[in-house]
Amino acid sequence: MGDILVVAEHRGGQLAAVSLEMLSKGRELANHCGGQVAAVVIGKDADRYARRLAQHADTVVVVDHHGLEDSPAEPSQRVLSSIVSERKPKLVLMGHTSFAMDLAPALAVELGAALATDCLDVSARDGVFRVTTAPYNGKVRAVYAFAPSDIIIVTGRAGSFPVEQAQGQGDIEVLEYDVEQDGQRKVFEGYVEPEASDVDIAQAKVVVSVGRGIKDSDKLELAEELASALGGVVACSRPIVDYGWLPAGRQVGQSGKTVTPKLYVALGISGAFQHVVGLTGAKMIVAVNKDPHAPIFGVADYGIVGDLFEVVPALTQKVRELKA
Amino acid sequence: MNVVVAIKKVVDTSEAADVVEVDAAGKDISKAGLVSRLNDWDGYALEEGLRWREKLGGTATALTVGPRDWDDVLRTALAMGADAAVRVDEDAASMDCRSVARILATAIGKLPHDLVLFGAQSEDFGSAQLGPMVAQMLGLPHATLVVGLDVNDDRVHVSREIEGGARELYTLTLPALLTIQTGLNRPRYVSFSRIKRAREKEIGVTTLHELGLSSADLVPSVTLERLELTPAGRRAMLISGNPEEAAGALATLLKESGVI
Repeated sequence: MGDILVVAEHRGGQLAAVSLEMLSKGRELANHCGGQVAAVVIGKDADRYARRLAQHADTVVVVDHHGLEDSPAEPSQRVLSSIVSERKPKLVLMGHTSFAMDLAPALAVELGAALATDCLDVSARDGVFRVTTAPYNGKVRAVYAFAPSDIIIVTGRAGSFPVEQAQGQGDIEVLEYDVEQDGQRKVFEGYVEPEASDVDIAQAKVVVSVGRGIKDSDKLELAEELASALGGVVACSRPIVDYGWLPAGRQVGQSGKTVTPKLYVALGISGAFQHVVGLTGAKMIVAVNKDPHAPIFGVADYGIVGDLFEVVPALTQKVRELKA
Repeated sequence: MNVVVAIKKVVDTSEAADVVEVDAAGKDISKAGLVSRLNDWDGYALEEGLRWREKLGGTATALTVGPRDWDDVLRTALAMGADAAVRVDEDAASMDCRSVARILATAIGKLPHDLVLFGAQSEDFGSAQLGPMVAQMLGLPHATLVVGLDVNDDRVHVSREIEGGARELYTLTLPALLTIQTGLNRPRYVSFSRIKRAREKEIGVTTLHELGLSSADLVPSVTLERLELTPAGRRAMLISGNPEEAAGALATLLKESGVI
């Protein structure tokens, strides 16, 4: 069915884990359909990732240019557009990251390619590529089929594709692209690292986290009390920070912190992937949510389907009794 | 400075909402009993657009592609302070993103625009594709997931969110398109009297035909085959009983596993 091109991403000297996940998926699809897998990695000193990528890919294309730091989206679009037009892969895979969200839709329009974003699965059967997504806050699964098209671009959700062991030794090609910024209409000015926080949720042994289901800032007290009974700290999902109810340092997830507690309690959190990627290191996850289809129950170990305003005070009480 | 803000209407399926069901055709969720409102991200985009229009003059136009009952989100925009509202009269629910982007790009091309704002994604399908697609179609520089912006003469300085709470800073030359992340402002409270006044304002309605678009311009590249509910509690062991009993059973489990 043609070749597969995987766009690898990196920042601060680290290859993104999702890039290896997409590469593993690309390998599986290529084995199934008969095609080659190429990985492209763009940016300053990108050759340092080449060997790791070559374990999975038949070819690694390194675009190493001093004009490209880390993985900025804008010049990458011109590099990729040129590589894709030349090599004509059937499928282009990348992680559904901040980088891809800026890049993939514009690249799809530029190349006249079909696009599906934030996919949990990609399959190729009987000559048709299909993807699965999780619309409506993850409460449903949607299956899409691509029309026969020249090129398909798919961005995949982090953590959806297991990284397979691979011992291959693909070829490494180093390309030189003389990339200027786009007529200075979009100029990269630098990075800002996150600010230090009042409470370090990343180090806490117990984290009690609240989401939109808490409904009112006055109700945060319920979470504070449970956290205090459990000897933990209060964290939250994004909306709580957006509302200004808790500071940004308390946010767990993609744009917040990654936590590794022995117990994570999710209260009124539906479990959007932007949140759950931050708790893959939690030893035990407990969720209270009124919707049995809330995706948080897909990652939790124990769940209570119910009204958190009733369950949480009762739980706080029981925990105090058992600890007494 | 002329601002265009693209907005949409969604059903509320957030944590605060009720349980969802798939409809009989299996292509969408059943909207009966669910509250429809302005997409969360779009409220922040509107607020940001209105603030810059108020500061720098010009016009702010709210734009949507949808059926007639989407007029209410345009009226929300007018009540917030938008100068004009335009609806492309087309139910785009079954279209793919590229087709909707084509319609929006064509409509925006006919409006005065120095700054084009989109919500970073929608609450329903959440594909986050429209903004950058429209930017590419219009040949505008763009930045997504914007959490801070400052317009200065013919440039806009933006801060965009990346993983782990870090940010990237860019300077874009206007006209430019930005997609707005939640939390960069506090969308204003709209009083009842303003909503009432907005009911009397006119909404400009246009059609695909008037925009010079035909079905040949809107060929889907990807088609929804089916929708199904996410299996309930696929991994979690669900603890049953009334709140008291369930809480008691959970506390015992936590004790037994040594976490308390």
